[in-house]
Amino acid sequence: MIITSKKPLDEILKSVSGVNTLFIVSCGSCAAKCGTGDQKAVAELKEFLEQNGKTVLGNTELESACDMRLAKKDLLKNESFQKADAIVMLSCGAGSQSVEKVSGKIIISVLNSEYVGSTERIGIYKKFCGICGECVLIETEGICPRTRCAKSLVNGPCGGFVNGKCETDQTKDCAWVLIYEKLKKNGKTEKFLKQYIQPKQNKDY
Amino acid sequence: MKFKEKLKSDKFLITAELFPPKGTDISPFLQRASALKNLDAVNVTDNQRASMRVGSLAMSRLLLEMGIEPIMQLAARDKNRIALQSELLSANVLGIENVLVISGDHPNAGEYAGTKTVYDLDTVQLIKTARLLETGVDLAGKKLLGVPKFCVGAVVNPSAQPNDLQALMFAKKVAAGAEFFQTQTIFDAYEFKAFFDKIKELKVKVLPGVTLIKSVKFMQFLQKLPGVNIPQKIQDRINSASDPLAEGIKICSETIKELRSFADGVHIMAIGMEEYIPEIIRQSEK
Repeated sequence: MIITSKKPLDEILKSVSGVNTLFIVSCGSCAAKCGTGDQKAVAELKEFLEQNGKTVLGNTELESACDMRLAKKDLLKNESFQKADAIVMLSCGAGSQSVEKVSGKIIISVLNSEYVGSTERIGIYKKFCGICGECVLIETEGICPRTRCAKSLVNGPCGGFVNGKCETDQTKDCAWVLIYEKLKKNGKTEKFLKQYIQPKQNKDY
Repeated sequence: MKFKEKLKSDKFLITAELFPPKGTDISPFLQRASALKNLDAVNVTDNQRASMRVGSLAMSRLLLEMGIEPIMQLAARDKNRIALQSELLSANVLGIENVLVISGDHPNAGEYAGTKTVYDLDTVQLIKTARLLETGVDLAGKKLLGVPKFCVGAVVNPSAQPNDLQALMFAKKVAAGAEFFQTQTIFDAYEFKAFFDKIKELKVKVLPGVTLIKSVKFMQFLQKLPGVNIPQKIQDRINSASDPLAEGIKICSETIKELRSFADGVHIMAIGMEEYIPEIIRQSEK
């Protein structure tokens, strides 16, 4: 799921400084699951805004804020949504922009979209996939070096690993040491030696 | 004889490295370089430890004008494939053939934490790219007007565990076209003899890196760098020395002396104390 984090309160306060009436839209998928857009987060945000002199006209949880069809169906006929000066979004950037696209309203997105996370347990997420559009997992024993190597090296490690950990962070495993251990176990080091992964075709835009 | 040709000889090769200045005053750099005129080649680092400095290309060219053969370091960290290829061609038109291809220290722990890293090509891809340019085409498949010629080097870290993985990477970089290697610093030649013997099979010259420990404080700094492991006995010698610099010079020359018995050469990292390199080499010859 998309892992989001809450923006600092002073930043939120600054971004609502020019508006009086607000409507909160939260996402029932990823943001709700990682605790940044669940009912508790909505209630806290509502209380904070009201304490700071804002009027919250209402709130709606979309099943998935990134689904423009749902945004259209659940929001456009809501009077309070239409009346509000601005919409405060508790969703990832895809969700916020879907709501902007279908409504044209002023959007105040109060979460930062961090990464696609795999859940180890609630609150502990691992960044395994960078949704790069050119998967190398077949070649790299199911462990992604593009995402899990700090330098995105796809043809093997740098010289900075120390006892299996990354030079950038001693608490992080070196992706290439993990891949290597698996290659060794599966008798594929020879394959690694001969394998060459071409430069990636980037499709950023 | 050029460095590229020396790689084919039996000569014990000695290289060192210089850091470009942070700012436009090049006089200390040139002063340090003047002590290195008798070396086989001198590396110029590329924004090492992800700091911001004068480019390797400019300072490499200045070395060349002094009669010193430069090895331009090129980090994949800061440039995309357009800029990397362009830099390689620029080097060649300025008379620089030797390039040492590295991934580059990650900015995470340095003065530019938070900068956008590039890593568009990895080191294996970058070695192959330099070799591709020599065939007269670039990565886009376009024909070059005038064909460059390089002597391509790469790095290997003998002290990174598991070092079997480093040995595999060594072989992979050789297959990609690396002609010589310089290593991260070691402080005990014999500790890594087995590793050097193992990778010797591929018959590519490897110059192990040695570092001059100039003070107790510097040793403490070194210890914190990625991949650096200073043996206890070396630490004890520096800590108890009345003149740590003299002791550091001695340790450095002893390591080089040991390397002379089985290695292809040595890469000396004196980190600002290059004026002592001739003395280190003299002592290692005794």
